[in-house]
Amino acid sequence: MAGTTFEKYGGFGAVSKIVMDFYDLVLDSDSVGHHFDDIDMPRLMDHQTKFISALMGGPSSISDERLRMAHHKISITDAEFDEVAQMLVEVMQEHGVKADDIAQVVAAVEDKRPLIVRRIT
Amino acid sequence: MTAIALSTINEHLLKSIGVGVAILRYSDLSFQYYNAAFAEWFGDPADSEAIPEIIEKLRETAAEALRETGRYAGEVQVKPRRRTLIISVALSLAEIEGEKMLVAECQNITRMRELEQMIESYSSMVERNTRELEREKERVEKLLLNLMPRTVYEEFKTFGTVTPQLYRDVSVLMLDFVGFTSFAETNDPTVTLSELNDIFSTFDRIAEQFGVERIKTLGDAYLAVCGMPEPAPDHASAVASCAVRFLRYLERRNESHQYKWQARVGIASGAAVGSVVGVQKYVYDVFGPAVNLAARLQVFAHPMKIVAPVEMTYDLIDNFQVDEIGSYDIKGLGVKELINVSSTLTRVR
Repeated sequence: MAGTTFEKYGGFGAVSKIVMDFYDLVLDSDSVGHHFDDIDMPRLMDHQTKFISALMGGPSSISDERLRMAHHKISITDAEFDEVAQMLVEVMQEHGVKADDIAQVVAAVEDKRPLIVRRIT
Repeated sequence: MTAIALSTINEHLLKSIGVGVAILRYSDLSFQYYNAAFAEWFGDPADSEAIPEIIEKLRETAAEALRETGRYAGEVQVKPRRRTLIISVALSLAEIEGEKMLVAECQNITRMRELEQMIESYSSMVERNTRELEREKERVEKLLLNLMPRTVYEEFKTFGTVTPQLYRDVSVLMLDFVGFTSFAETNDPTVTLSELNDIFSTFDRIAEQFGVERIKTLGDAYLAVCGMPEPAPDHASAVASCAVRFLRYLERRNESHQYKWQARVGIASGAAVGSVVGVQKYVYDVFGPAVNLAARLQVFAHPMKIVAPVEMTYDLIDNFQVDEIGSYDIKGLGVKELINVSSTLTRVR
């Protein structure tokens, strides 16, 4: 795993701090915070840390199917997805993640958009 | 002057620290004081919905602990906003201006709990990965142990390479089936393979019993050695014992199986070199005069017979039936005096 973005920024310890700060932002948001009203936060943070770690090339994986299952009962719009993605960018910036590494994570998240945003078909 | 300053400092401190502090009158649990952090989590005691619930929940256990030890420590959950907070609550009794008071110290341990859960989850993930790696390692080890003897494997594992080593006193067994080529031509390959697999697996078990190590099979040929890499003083009789039992097993097997197998066996004692050959594709192999001789003698043997050089007589005479069969010119090795080796049991019969 040497050389991955995950390693570069200090592994799970660093990612978990990013994730915790990320949720501080998300939960405070008036437009998307309501999605998290009745959520087991420690569990969600654990999953999210593994997810972000995986996107950074870390030793964890969250399957697409799992991601779809986790979101399919929630009506998430494209705008909400964008807002949350932007918060992730902000938090990563605050934590000193370099622009191109942020871009890599965001691109990876963007790949998962179809699994997260609910399409009315 | 000093007293006033200190109380002012205390007041500011209580207001600004991250610890939630409240003071309640013990008799009626009415709030005498609370700071900002406390209000942030629990709300203003005057109109808080959470506080009466919490008091109700803690009342009995806390009252008991306070009676006995004067202190109480516990945890409560509140949800001032979206996030459910976990707050540790420590209660103690104090007397302020002659009145019994309850001092509540509260700390937000939500993050700690979140981190604890994450750590737990990661350590179990790491443990799982470690177990998988361990299993994988075992699989690799098992595979490599099929390719080379354990001592050689240990050397290979430690140094990443195996030094070719000369063993002066070893015995080699070479077995080959009679008519294998025609069998393979007339039967389905899967049949041939399962027959070989069955027979060779039994050979391996027999060999193991005598401390003989199978080096390789090549098509229908079976090559085994004794005395390397670990020395064995009775290597000659060990391979002879194997050879005799291989043939006896085949005889027994032929009585009940559809396909009948006959084999020729050559055994020889002498020197051999053992080493891992190849870099990407490892094969542990043996070379040397003993190997060559056994291979030649095997070709020379009649079906279901074991042929050895006469020099082995001394080592075998006590435990085996040894019959001289004369001198023969063996390709590449000159004229050799040979013997047939068989089980003493055959002689009795």
